[in-house]
Formats: sequence, C-alpha cells, structure tokens
Amino acid sequence: MSDAALSRPLLELDTVVKTFGGVTAVGGLSTRVTRGSVHGLIGPNGAGKTTLINLITGLFHPTSGAIRFEGRSLEAMQPQAIATLGITRTYQNVRLFSGMTVLEQVMTGCWLTREVGVFASFLGLPSARAAWVRTREHALSLLARVSMDHRADELAETLSYGEQRRIEIARALGSRPKLLLLDEPTAGMNHQEATAIGRLVHELRDAGLTILMVEHNMGLVTEFCDDCTVVNFGRLLATGDPATCLADPDVQEAYFGRKTDAERIQALR
Amino acid sequence: MILFLEQALNGWALGSLYALFGIGFGLVFSTLGILNAAHGTYASWAAIVGYYVVERAGLPFPVAVGVGVAAGGLLALAVDQIAFQPLRSRKAGMLGALITSIAFWIILDSLAGFATEQQSLAFPAASFPSGMIDIGPMKVGQLQLIIIAVLIVCTIGIHLLIQKTRLGTAMRAVGWNEVAAALGGVNARMVILLTAFLAGATSGLAGVLAGAATSNVSFTLGEGLMLKGFAAVVVGGYDDVRGTAIAGILLGIIEVFVAQYVSTALRDGFTYSLLLIFLVARPRGLFGSAGFVRA
Amino acid sequence: METLLDLWAAYGSTIAFAMVNALFALSTYAVLSTGVLSFTTVVFAAVGGFLAAQSVAHLGIGLWPAFALAGIGGAVAGSVVAAAFLKLDSHWMALASLALVLITRVTVLNTPLLTGGVNGLVVPMSVPMGDLVILLALVAAVFWRLHRSWYGLAARAVREDAAVASTMGIPPRGIQFTAFVISGAVGGIGGAALAFTLQFISPETYFIGMAFTMIASTVLGGSFHWFGPIVGAAVFTALPVTMQSVLPAIEDVAKGVVLLVIMIFLPRGLVDPRAVGLRRAARRRVSAEEGTDV
Repeated sequence: MSDAALSRPLLELDTVVKTFGGVTAVGGLSTRVTRGSVHGLIGPNGAGKTTLINLITGLFHPTSGAIRFEGRSLEAMQPQAIATLGITRTYQNVRLFSGMTVLEQVMTGCWLTREVGVFASFLGLPSARAAWVRTREHALSLLARVSMDHRADELAETLSYGEQRRIEIARALGSRPKLLLLDEPTAGMNHQEATAIGRLVHELRDAGLTILMVEHNMGLVTEFCDDCTVVNFGRLLATGDPATCLADPDVQEAYFGRKTDAERIQALR
Repeated sequence: MILFLEQALNGWALGSLYALFGIGFGLVFSTLGILNAAHGTYASWAAIVGYYVVERAGLPFPVAVGVGVAAGGLLALAVDQIAFQPLRSRKAGMLGALITSIAFWIILDSLAGFATEQQSLAFPAASFPSGMIDIGPMKVGQLQLIIIAVLIVCTIGIHLLIQKTRLGTAMRAVGWNEVAAALGGVNARMVILLTAFLAGATSGLAGVLAGAATSNVSFTLGEGLMLKGFAAVVVGGYDDVRGTAIAGILLGIIEVFVAQYVSTALRDGFTYSLLLIFLVARPRGLFGSAGFVRA
Repeated sequence: METLLDLWAAYGSTIAFAMVNALFALSTYAVLSTGVLSFTTVVFAAVGGFLAAQSVAHLGIGLWPAFALAGIGGAVAGSVVAAAFLKLDSHWMALASLALVLITRVTVLNTPLLTGGVNGLVVPMSVPMGDLVILLALVAAVFWRLHRSWYGLAARAVREDAAVASTMGIPPRGIQFTAFVISGAVGGIGGAALAFTLQFISPETYFIGMAFTMIASTVLGGSFHWFGPIVGAAVFTALPVTMQSVLPAIEDVAKGVVLLVIMIFLPRGLVDPRAVGLRRAARRRVSAEEGTDV
C-alpha cells in the first residue's frame, strides 16, 4: 500500500443526510476516521449515532451525501457487500441469534473467512472439514480474547447481558474486519467490566484494527479514544481529540445544558 | 344491453359478498398479524345459525341476520381467546397462530358438517326478500340490492372507524407494534378483542347473506367465500378496506361476465390470473402503501 | 409375526402416507428454516407429480429416473417462484404463495393435455415401500448434511435476524433463493411419491388441504431441526387413524383439538433443540445456587 493510501482516512463521511418521512435523523454530517485509531462517536440520546452506524453498514441508505471506505463509495451497497469490504459491527440492543450456542454465534461471524465453498462443506470433503476445524479454532481464540471460551457450548441467550455483549464483539471480529463499529459496547456494564472492554479495544487497535465506537461514558472516551466526533440532532458539534471536543461550549451545552440553564436563570431574574 | 346491465349488477352483488368477507379477513391480517385459516368457518356457522333461526324458531330474516352476525363475532372472539391469545404472550408469531387457526378450521368445519347433516340447506324462498324489483327495463333481485348497499355502508363505516376514530388509530398502532401501542396508552387487549369481533361479525354478515343469495347453507359456503375473499384482499391490498371492497366487486363482475360471455369453466381461471398479475406487477394491491423499513 | 403382518395390512398405507407427507414437510421446512413462510410446496408437488406421472406413462422411464425428473422440475419451479416472490415482505410472501396454490389448481384444471384436467390422471406405476424408505432416507441425509454445513449455520442466522446476518456478510436473499431451490426439488420428489402412492392424481390432489397439512406437520414437529418435520408428518398422519379407533364419530374434531393443544403448550413444536440448551442452563443455575461445582 502506498503512503498516500495509508495517510488517507479509512472512513470518510461527506455531508451525509438521512431523513425518514419528514424527520431528519442525520442532517449533513461530515467526519473522518483515521486508520489505526479508536474513534469515539458521542452525543445525547436520539442524536443519530445508531442511524450513522446503520448507514455505514448499509442497513439504511443515505438520502444524500457520500460515505467512503478506503476510497470506495458505500452509499448504494448492500450490507453483505460492505461486510465483505471489511466493516463489521455490534448492536446497541444486543442482537445475538436465538437458539445458537456461543461458539455457533462466533462461527456465524466467521462466514466471510470460512475458506471453503458452501457446496464443498455440504459434501463434507476432507478439505472442507479441515477448514471447518480451522475456523472453529479461530472462533475459540476470539472467545478467549473476550474471556468467554469457557461458555462456548452454552446457549448465548441464557448468559448475562455483559457476557452477551462480549460474545457479540467476538462475532464481529470473526471475519477479520478492518473497521469495527461498536454501538455502546459498555452499556449496562459496571466500571470494572467497562474498563476491560476499553483495554480490549486498545489491544485490537494495537493489532491493526480501526474502531469506531458509540460511547456514553465520558471517562472511557477520554481514557480510550484517540479522536472523537460529537453529534446532536444529526449534526456535527465538534470533532478532534476527546479533551478538546468535550471542552467545546456547544458540546457542554448539548450534554449538560449549561448555557441554556444559565440563560434561563438570567431570564428568570 | 339490459342483460349486460343486469349481469353487471349480479356480479356487483356477488363481488360485494366476497368483499364483505375479505374485509374481516384483511383486518385480522393487518391489525393482528394473523393469517386466519378459520375465517371461512365463521361465515358457514353464521349462515347455519341464521338458517335455524328462520327454519326452526320461525323468526323473520332480519333477526336471522342479526343473530348470524352476533354468532360470527362471538365465534371469532372465542377462537381468538382460545387459539391466539395463549400464543401472543409467547411471541410465537404468525406461524403458531396459523397452525392453531388451521386446527380450528378442521374442528369448526367438521362440526358444521354435523350441524347440517352433511347436506346443503337453503333458506325457504318466502323467508327472505327474494322478489325482483324493476329498475327501468331491468329486473333486479331485492336481496342483490340489499347486499350491494350493505357492503357500501360497511366499507364506509369501517374505513371511517379506522381512519378517523381513536379506536381506529389504536388498531393501526397495534398492527404496527403491540409493545409501542401499549406504551402509548392503547389498551391492546381491548383493541384485539374488538378487531376479532368486528372481523367475525362482517364475516358472519357475508355468510348469512351469501347463504340466502346462493341457496347454500353448509360448510362449503365458508370455503367458497374464503378463496374469493382472499383474492379480493390480495388484489385490493390487505391494509385498506376500500381496496378490498373495490377488488371484491371487480372480481364478482368479472366472474359473472366470464361465465356469461366466455365460459363457465374459465371463470376461476380469470379470477386467479388477475390475482397472479397483481402479485407480480403490483404486489401491494390497489391502494397498497410502501412498507415500513425496519433495520 | 402374524400380528405384525396384520398391523402392516391395517396401517401400511398410513405409513406410506406418513413418509410422503414427511417429504412435503421437509420441503416446507427448507424455506421456513430461512425465515420464509411459503405454501408453494404444493406447487412444486404438482409440478413433480404430473411430470413424473406423464413421463412414466409416455416416455416409459423407471421409478428412480421419474423421481430425478420430478426433483429437477420442482427445483426449476422453485427458482422461478423465488425470483418472483422473494422481493415481497414476509406477510405478502405468505399471502402470495397461498394465492399461487389457488392458481396452480386452476392451471391444472385448464391444461387437460398435460394434467388430464378435471378427470385427473391414472398413474401406471406404484412405489414399493422399500423404495419409499430409501427415498426418504436419502432426502433426510441431504438435510442432515445441510444442517451441519456452512449453509445450515447461515440459514439459521438469516431466519433469526436477516439484517444482522447481512452485516456479517451472509447474503439473506441468496440463502433464501437456495432454500427455494431445495424446497422445489424435495417438493417435486414428494409430489411424484404421492402420485406413485395414490396411483391417481387430480387437481384436488395438490390443493389447499395439502398446503395446510404440510405446514401443520412442519410446525407441529418443530421447524428448528430437520428431524422435526419428519416426526410432525408421522404424528399428523397417524392422528386421524388413531382417533378413528378411539373416537370414530368425531375423528376430525379430535384431530383439530390435538393439534390445537400441542401448539398451545409446545409452540416451537415437538422437536426443539433450543429447549435442551435452556434446560441445561436452568440445571446449571440450580446447581450453582446449591453451591456445587458445575
């Protein structure tokens, strides 16, 4: 890969607009995610963060604007094509498959790296079996990474919420993506568990993965994110390094309502 | 020309029966998300009950219609509470309800066979308005005109109910998402019961009228209505009663004309070819709206 | 031995029908296991049935070539249906497939040259029980392999959550298309098997009653594992016979009540692999509470 390609942002959003009926969920948002970084996507509830993730992964198509990944336009692509390019994700409200064991969930996530044709696997050829065993090992190693390998043969839906979130991360890693989108990976976790996720994210980044994560815990954002993008009402409030972003007066207002409160108090007087 | 117009009216009346039946079927499908295989049996049973009201109790036809409508509605309520309600809490989805509705279809159909002693019964001609009325040079059956009027009244009534009233808004909300509806202060249980009753009652109304109009009161009555009513729902779009009404009328008229001018054998062929064309070319029906996008 | 033979004489045809119904249930399961409710197995069965009957009568081919031909015909029909209907959302898909069943009957009625029309067709060949067993075993083996292959894993993912599956690179439409081709092939073979079992087929053979029978068998047996439809077909076919000996007057009513009761108390069907996992998890919780090692 040339130096130019490396210095170019991995993911670029250019004035992305998404409307549902008459409601604007994302209104002309632009931002970029640098290769090899942990990028936080933050904003109040209903700010359009999950919609953005859905747009990037192709579950929704933008009304207008461009989304580029390694220079390729994603706007018109189907989700499976986007996954093939190397983007996978987790979900805000964990969406594991009902009836599957933990290992099966992660195996499903390895679909793109299964190294064998579906028909060969149907016939049970020796090469297909060998590939299946390799994929199984890969899936188990991913489970070990999120400390879930001891639960591999259990039904995922019987496990705790925090455990399910970790399984979902392992599943998203199955296809060896270049960009991982985490939608509130620490929701419902205690401080210790959340910090473990933060450390995992750093390990993954150091192994060459780029991560875009929606996160509400500001402590985690400042501690673990290299850059961040703050959105509100589908618009960009600030982008840059976390400390600068959080100090931005617009961000302060959106999060803590400081300016409005101050004005209201003044108005009351 | 006169024959043409007379036949057009006959077709309109026949189609009105299909539409009347289809409205209830479509209502349950769009609001409750249930493909109800037992829907036809409500019509059969309403006609059978109506028949016995006239034949055994000697009561006048309008009473028979009223009792038949009530019977259809109550039967639908009973089926809903026994066959569908236990599945709702378990989120068994459309599939489980389809199977339990098939179970009720088998049960009610075979009981209907016993009730009519496996025969096709007929309302005595004197018991219902079976005379002819002269409209200009045309002779039209009284019952045909009544059926046509009934459909118009029911379609407008139900359309207004769904679009303009609080209850209708609640019905649409339940149709989209029961959980959201419950959060929004809609009593989902009440809406379900009312929808089931309304669907059963319109099916029952279609059943009694069809029983009188076609001189056939038996378990086959509901099956015939079911097939054609279903076609009306698909052609018209299941989420709009106006579409179902117009499609039903069209199907009735086409059927009568094909039988009159082409061939009786091809009658169903035309109906179902139309169905196929709509499925492929306009899969959401006459008034179909674009579906909600869910990620 | 004597009693065994008596049993065979009394219930042999029931067993044959149970196996034919198992083929139909597996055909329905093929699409249901990718999240599509479709009644088109009836259509595929009609294609396979008439194709097999006509080719046996006029081309003079044997039993197994006729099965193969029926399977191919069904698979072609399956791919056509999939291409036309898969763009519809799930509710419309169910309605459209049911409409196609009605249309099939009318088509059969109006093409007497191919189907014998309203008079039906006499099928000049029958299928020995042994061959039927082998046929069902072969088809079951295919489903067993599918279940344990990448296709099976992808199909389960698509059924449970197609959107999530697609973000992992699994093409839901592609999987469902494949499911329709499999459903078509198995449905076609089932249609031929029915033709050779009944030795007479007519427009009424492949109609609504069959559509509901096969969907009821599938869901009754359980649509989360390929063994479910086979069990379901056996139970659903044996039910009327059993009821006839217990409650002869109201066998149909009893059959409906049994179906109703099973569905209300076991909505996921008789064979449910998930229930095994849930029970194990419950046991683990109990033993954890009692302080013993898991």
